[in-house]
Amino acid sequence: MVIATTGDADVLLPPVTSLETGINVSDLLFCRLAELRLGLNTVDDSGFRPVLARSWDHPDSLTIVFHLDPRARWQDGAPVTAADVAFTFRTYRDSAVNSPLAPFLAPIESVTAGDSLTVAFRFRRWYPEQLYDATYHMRILPRHLLDTIPAARLASSAFARAPVGDGPYRFARWRAGAELTVTADTAWFLGRPGIGRLIWRVSPELASAVSQLLAGEADAMEVIPARGQLERVQQSRDVRLVPYPSPFYAGVVFNLRRPPFTDREVRRALTMAVDRRAVVGSVFGPFADVAVGAVSPMQAVWSDSIRQLPYDTAAAARLLDARGWRRGADGQRTRGGTALRFDLLVPTSSQSRQAAAVILQDQLRRLGVDVRIQPVEFTVMEGRTAAGDFDAAFVSRTTDPSPASLLQWWSPGAAANIGGYADPTFQSLTAAALRARTRAGAAPLWRRALDRLNDDAAAVFLFSPRNQAAVSTRIAGVTIRPDAWLATVTGWRVGEPRPASDRGAAGP
Amino acid sequence: MSPWRVAARRFARNRPAVRGAAVVALMALAALAAPLVTADPLAQPDPVRLQDRPPSSTHLLGTDPFSRDVLSRTLHGARVSLVVGVGAALLAVTLGAGVGLVAGLAGRRTDQVLMRGVDVAMALPRILLLLAVLAVWENAPAAAVVVLIAATGWFQTSRIVRAAVLGLREADFVVAARALGAAAPGIVRRHLLPHVAAPVIVSASLDVGNIILLEAGLSYLGLGVRPPTPTWGNMIMDGKDVLLTAPWVALAPGLALVVTVVAFNLAADGLRDALDPRMAV
Amino acid sequence: MLGFVARRLGFAVVSVAAVVLITFLLVHAEPGAPMLGSPERTRASPETVARQRALFGLDRPLPEQLLRYAANLARGELGESFVLHRPVADVLAEAVPNTLLLGGTALVVSLLLGLVIGAAQAARHHSRTDTALGVLTLVLYSVPVFWLGLVLLLVFGERLHWLPVSGMTSAAIHDTLSPLGRALDVARHLVLPAASLALVQAAAFARFQRSALVDSLGAAHIRSARAKGLPERVVLWRHALRGALAPTITLAGLSVPYFLAGSVLVESIFGWPGLGRVTYDAIFARDYNVITAAALVAGVLVAIGNLLADVAVAIADPRVRLDR
Repeated sequence: MVIATTGDADVLLPPVTSLETGINVSDLLFCRLAELRLGLNTVDDSGFRPVLARSWDHPDSLTIVFHLDPRARWQDGAPVTAADVAFTFRTYRDSAVNSPLAPFLAPIESVTAGDSLTVAFRFRRWYPEQLYDATYHMRILPRHLLDTIPAARLASSAFARAPVGDGPYRFARWRAGAELTVTADTAWFLGRPGIGRLIWRVSPELASAVSQLLAGEADAMEVIPARGQLERVQQSRDVRLVPYPSPFYAGVVFNLRRPPFTDREVRRALTMAVDRRAVVGSVFGPFADVAVGAVSPMQAVWSDSIRQLPYDTAAAARLLDARGWRRGADGQRTRGGTALRFDLLVPTSSQSRQAAAVILQDQLRRLGVDVRIQPVEFTVMEGRTAAGDFDAAFVSRTTDPSPASLLQWWSPGAAANIGGYADPTFQSLTAAALRARTRAGAAPLWRRALDRLNDDAAAVFLFSPRNQAAVSTRIAGVTIRPDAWLATVTGWRVGEPRPASDRGAAGP
Repeated sequence: MSPWRVAARRFARNRPAVRGAAVVALMALAALAAPLVTADPLAQPDPVRLQDRPPSSTHLLGTDPFSRDVLSRTLHGARVSLVVGVGAALLAVTLGAGVGLVAGLAGRRTDQVLMRGVDVAMALPRILLLLAVLAVWENAPAAAVVVLIAATGWFQTSRIVRAAVLGLREADFVVAARALGAAAPGIVRRHLLPHVAAPVIVSASLDVGNIILLEAGLSYLGLGVRPPTPTWGNMIMDGKDVLLTAPWVALAPGLALVVTVVAFNLAADGLRDALDPRMAV
Repeated sequence: MLGFVARRLGFAVVSVAAVVLITFLLVHAEPGAPMLGSPERTRASPETVARQRALFGLDRPLPEQLLRYAANLARGELGESFVLHRPVADVLAEAVPNTLLLGGTALVVSLLLGLVIGAAQAARHHSRTDTALGVLTLVLYSVPVFWLGLVLLLVFGERLHWLPVSGMTSAAIHDTLSPLGRALDVARHLVLPAASLALVQAAAFARFQRSALVDSLGAAHIRSARAKGLPERVVLWRHALRGALAPTITLAGLSVPYFLAGSVLVESIFGWPGLGRVTYDAIFARDYNVITAAALVAGVLVAIGNLLADVAVAIADPRVRLDR
């Protein structure tokens, strides 16, 4: 099966891989201890299925013991052992490797190998998502092949470009910038993958990638981000669109340290003046949903019952008047000689955000607020938001299945909390949610935290694109797990071409 | 009759050149008049329903992915292309002529130093430098683009001017003027400049077309004058993803580019033929 | 002659050094750290980014970085790509041959095409054919190369499906082909991008060739050859063309910057894995080492082109060698 992609992979080493294609490929070459099922339940044990670990138990509230499957082997024949798991944990946490995933492993105090098939994870405190943290972030690495390489040189080692893994697929060939091939391991211990060969083909231009798909030179694409291209695919009879809940949400984050955003009522007024449905509708048409808060449709806590500020320009105007921001003769609001205006950083990498920003600017102008759009390069925006040197920034977030990923961006003191949001109620709600023992107990607490975030108008949460993968009709058995579209590719098969009306199952 | 009038006569007799000049004038007129006769190029009247509409009676060239009127944007784009093209060409020849004059008139040491510098500068990969600088500069105004393009493109002119000056230094009339006691600035102004002007004008006019294409290329990569200000290059960038479903978005600015550059090149060829008939073929 | 070449080589070295220095300074003065992930999926926290900078030595003062880079360069070390985690030399070793293939093919095609058109025009000087071809070359010369690429892609790739739209090879089947088959596969992918580059430059060459050939056709020794009664074709091809040879080499050498600039645009449209695309990606990802090394390669190529051009001029006109 040929996969069309617009970006090449960087390295194929799970702790270090950062680019999309690199992550997709290394996910198929290396395994986790256990995988999330399609339901993305990150709290209960039943939400996971065994992979490298055949079973696990909780001897006490701070420990999980995994029993590895003796059938699991590295592609050079060596068995996957507990020593590999311990080595992997050390590698991910090693500052010389500088893995972006290291902070997620902070709750784990230690990983100790018992015998060759038993490994114990010890946590610093009890919380319901221990299993999730133990399994989701790390993909196990082969100690016997990597322990002689100094940590700082891991990313640039030959192994990172031609890895030996234990997954359903083996690395075959990589022509940089052009294509990457992996072949199925027919003797994989959990069953033979349905498709024998996967080839990622790089076309930097989105239109060319879609053209290849439509011409039959490629069979699948993870997501079609542009509306015009979606319409092209819709018209084809050989390619069908498979929708799945998106792990993204995008919004305008206010820098709460800077006026006028220090004033909660002003923020609420600005949020109420934005007709989010119109923005989303015009930029995406039917291909995106209005974001309900700091949560993506993929996450289980997503709900359209989350309390949001209404679209009410009259109320917004009254609020601003009440705070002393009066309209001048030119319609611009001022207070004590200062005009109500701010700069909005928008990354040049996203056409949709640029389009949305223009509409937003227009809507706010009618309220008497002057928004200056500053298109900047993505790396520049990263730098400025990290340094707090911005008024408002139009960012997009990729969430993990766990609702706790909320804390990465909205918890006080979190490095990625660029707006400086710090609210005691929000904190206590999220802390309680983290401690709740069951999913049913945690969900309402998370939702109330999201309500609070919306009430405080820390950001204008705008949209979540409706992800649609494009897959050729000759591929059957297609299921898509929203957080990683190829997570279930072992179940896909190359079959007879079927008409486009026959849609594969997507996630719940 | 003055050599200028002779040249003007020759130009007027060259029909393609005259047509080229006429088109250029028309473009300039359209660019100037654009804000008066067309809609706001930045307006997005109905972002939901008016995206990528084909040409119709209300939008003669259709709309783009942001529901903006393509005709209006094309005409406004002419302003950027013309200003950058002519401005950068003028600035470049001024720089080049200045350096060339100094090199030609000054002593041998200065000449050597300057010309070595020009040799080194000519080896710089222009596109790479422009890309690197513009990628960094977040919101480079049109003036910055003009200066950057000019600063990387004056070298050939300096060589031409230097050669012309060197050739003229030993010419009889200059020697005679010197012998008569005329001061250097006077010699430059009265005798050298008219003779140097011809190759300079030709060089500048031939440059304009290339500079317009260069600016379009930079805009296409997202690095020239930034959106939402329309330039023909960034209109093509907007249109490339909808090339198959809404081809007019990229076709209009592309055709405008071709027509304008052809016109400038015709006029430039005509100028060259008129000012230096020895080179006419 | 040898002294002339040696002097020119000396300039070339200085030029390349200047290119590297200027690019290094420009690139390191930029805001924004090297990108650690794709825009939509970045997971890196500011601490990770900061540590990355330290690991790559980017938090050291600029002069120290420059000296270290120069020392490495002298040893032949081009550094490591921050984004791809591999030696820059490897990245370039893969990309540069592809660009040379594309650019080289385009150069040869444009030279030949330019010659043919220019000769046809010169032979029928001031006839209707001449005018028609003149219009054609003028229009082609005025077309933006990226727009031409998009149009060719649209017409021949999409609508007619004659030629592939992207990449250098057909992924699924390339390895199963014989060596000849593989060469043909690459050739098929080469047609559209090379055509985009070549057509515009062919027009430029044609315009030049026309005037050069008309000039040399009018020269004295040609007239005497004609007087000797030699057939027109012999006159044209053997004598006039020989005179046009040196200027052609000069033009070809001076067209290197054009092909480099064009490759940045054309390679990204057609997904050709060459130096232009690598450079473009590196600039946006702030991959400092790759950008500087690409500038180095570009500088070398331009210097070689200029050198060839100068040598050709010197051969044709001995006065230049004295280099007043």
